[in-house]
Amino acid sequence: MELWVLFGTFAVLLLIGTPVAFCLGVSSFATIAYIGLPPVVVFQRLNSGISVFALMAIPFFIYAGELMVRGDIARRLVALAGAAVGHLRGGLGQVNITASVLFGGISGSAAADASAIGGLMIPQMEERGYGRDYAVNITVVSSIIALMLPPSHNLIIYSISAGGRISIADLFTAGILPGLILAISLMVVAWFVARHRGYETERFPGGRAVVGLLISATPGLILVAIIFGGVRSGVFTASESSCIAVVYAILVTILVYRSLPWSEFVAATLGAVRTASMVLLVIGSAAAFGWLLAYLRVPAELVEAMKGVSENPIIILLMLNLVLLLLGTFMDMSPLIVITTPIFLPVATAYGVDPVHFGIILILNLGIGLCTPPVGAVLFVGCAVGRLSVGTAIRTIWPFYGAAVATLMLVTYVPALSLWLPGLFR
Amino acid sequence: QDCEVTFRSSDTHPDGYPTVEAVKHMGELLQERSDGRICVEVFHSAQLGEEKDTIEQTQLGVIDMNRVSLGPFNNIIEETKVFSLPYIFRSTEHMHQVVDGEIGQEILDEFQNHDLVGLAYYDSGSRSFYNSQKPIESIDDLEGMKFRVMQSDVFVDMVDALGGNATPMPYGEVYSSIQTGVIDGAENNWPSFESSGHYEVAPYYTLDQHLIVPEVLVMSKQSWDQLSAEDQEMVRQAAQDSVPVMRELWAEREAASEQIIEDAGVQIVREIDKTPFIEAMDPVYETHVTSDALRELVDRIRAVE
Amino acid sequence: MTAFIAWQVWGRFVLNDTPTWTETSSVLLMGFFILLGAAVGIREGNHLSFDVLLYLLGPKAKSVLHSVSDLVVIAFACGMIYYGTVLAANAWDTTIPNLGISGAVSFFALVTGGVLMTLFSVERLLRRVVGLHTARFGEQGMDGD
Ligand code: NA
Ligand code: NA
Repeated sequence: MELWVLFGTFAVLLLIGTPVAFCLGVSSFATIAYIGLPPVVVFQRLNSGISVFALMAIPFFIYAGELMVRGDIARRLVALAGAAVGHLRGGLGQVNITASVLFGGISGSAAADASAIGGLMIPQMEERGYGRDYAVNITVVSSIIALMLPPSHNLIIYSISAGGRISIADLFTAGILPGLILAISLMVVAWFVARHRGYETERFPGGRAVVGLLISATPGLILVAIIFGGVRSGVFTASESSCIAVVYAILVTILVYRSLPWSEFVAATLGAVRTASMVLLVIGSAAAFGWLLAYLRVPAELVEAMKGVSENPIIILLMLNLVLLLLGTFMDMSPLIVITTPIFLPVATAYGVDPVHFGIILILNLGIGLCTPPVGAVLFVGCAVGRLSVGTAIRTIWPFYGAAVATLMLVTYVPALSLWLPGLFR
Repeated sequence: QDCEVTFRSSDTHPDGYPTVEAVKHMGELLQERSDGRICVEVFHSAQLGEEKDTIEQTQLGVIDMNRVSLGPFNNIIEETKVFSLPYIFRSTEHMHQVVDGEIGQEILDEFQNHDLVGLAYYDSGSRSFYNSQKPIESIDDLEGMKFRVMQSDVFVDMVDALGGNATPMPYGEVYSSIQTGVIDGAENNWPSFESSGHYEVAPYYTLDQHLIVPEVLVMSKQSWDQLSAEDQEMVRQAAQDSVPVMRELWAEREAASEQIIEDAGVQIVREIDKTPFIEAMDPVYETHVTSDALRELVDRIRAVE
Repeated sequence: MTAFIAWQVWGRFVLNDTPTWTETSSVLLMGFFILLGAAVGIREGNHLSFDVLLYLLGPKAKSVLHSVSDLVVIAFACGMIYYGTVLAANAWDTTIPNLGISGAVSFFALVTGGVLMTLFSVERLLRRVVGLHTARFGEQGMDGD
């Protein structure tokens, strides 16, 4: 009965459009009052949920991402990608994907990737005779890559939701191979679709031009090294390196590129404050929600129930993936990470899945959810940037969904793809 | 289950850890002795929150029992600070003598004033220094070495007083920081030194045992007051009876970790003259032992044989 | 803008050499930043919400449900004020380690945030009553990840 109160209140509030953070908080409050416990616990959990040092990395990485989109860093990365892979079949499609890999190394936001790279690439692609749907499809699905490559603040949210006991450095490292595999599988699909539609390639501009663009994009690439190297080596914590990323992004865009006017700087700051406080409040109220789930033994009973269905980890992982994909089509990423981690992680670990591996599965899975209707922030961004209706976009997006889901299955069932690289650093 | 009452008990350690198993054992004793009326369920792995939060929850009566370290109580019950002073206990046996005796009982009684009932003391081993550079055989070897410590002024002051450099950092960053030379070492007990893998990068361990801090099993005053006098006695006795089990499990665990670490070729300095270390603590005690009551307590603990 | 200044100060905190008090104080500051930022988010209507059902409804029903949502937010914000005060009172005579100030301070953000959220939500309700526009998440470009 307690669970009905909890999930019932949550579902009703969610459906009438109450902000997610308050759906979580009020349903926890109602349930605790129903059980007869002092409701003050809800607010204690909320307060400790937001008083976590590692959380600080999230607003900083979001801020750094905003600055790079508004400064010149993103554009130069796209130019570099254009010179490097434009001569492959489906030229600008391949460029779009490669740009997402480069951009993914400095930002962890798929929405920022879709708006920055989509904004630059979609008009170019249309001008060169590519279908607008093709441009939007690639922009949307390839932006999942940004979630997988470090820095990924969503992996930090996962680590915190799991009780802060999973190494952020390991998670960052673990996402690299799956992110690259996703990129390659999308490039393959882009190649086939391009051949089917008879798209042209771009002229290879020559090695000298590539080197020139590489130099011009170097400050952005150095940032990749600072963030990853800093966290991985343990010289900085994730929070510290995120702060350094912000300072570095400000210095590069203002001093080196001289590309960030004051108004844009203010806009980047306000944009980051908005996104970050919203995400962090959800994390805080989810702490209350997650506490109740543990108190009501939901994870323990779910493990029992799943054991009744099957003892086979392959089937359990498939079930978890299906549930997550389904949830991901309806809800946004960060609230889903904080809600589902305390429920599903114990199930996964009960079947011998490594928590780092599960984190990668979770992020990739929910990332796909960002690209699917009815609630897919990245799909909406891509369509808005490409001025294309969602209906038209998803009519031809299937091959790319297919590539993403195939990658998800590969990552799910081959743990080494996630665990091999972090293992090398131990 | 047919239990009339099920106590929810919190622990930050994972399932299978000695403290978790000891509270489970206490639950079995209770269930047996109450003919199945009273049960205990352990929520391990910090499922209900970190210690500071679960202490508040226990005070509020939201959870019934809690196995916690003494650190978070230092700001609530002043006397508990004394147990967290460096080199206050000469050995684990000394610590057992103190907590099993009248000083231990006095401090357990203090919990009554804070909506809690102190049931029993558990162990958390003894913490010693490990590093990647050289075997530490005397206090001079510590000079200038960088050690990671927890976010606590006592720890920072202790390392500084020993001539080292205290570097507070999150536990999860320690391994790679030792590997890359950002710090020279850290300090912990056998099981944590082993399970964290730090012994792979810090092959020198010196058993100076600077901290031997007991932990406590407490109950919510609200849950306690709902029990009859006989049941209260039954709970207290079951908690006391879980202590020898806990100490045995802890000793087994320590021995297992010690074996792994020895097999890995870690150089262990077992015999060390602690006198200079203890003498170096004078400024630390001056800063942190701030009242006459605490000074008296320190003297009484040192007088226990 | 206040949030921006907080941000800068806080950045300096983190970049400093790490004495024991910086982490604690940055976390305290972050609490204020999150709750005040979230309160401003209420005013600007940019909190993550789920509008699928609302697409199917007419403007009148929508406006009623939006008002219900605002009332829910007000109820929770009042809870933040009341229970935040209770928690602060309980923590009054404890001290925050490494910082030496009362543990009650860490709950002030909850109370302040609650007050602002209540005010801003009441403002939304009033605006809707007199027929002014109230912003909603998802209207002006998406901010989600
Ligand atoms: Na990234
Ligand atoms: Na892209």
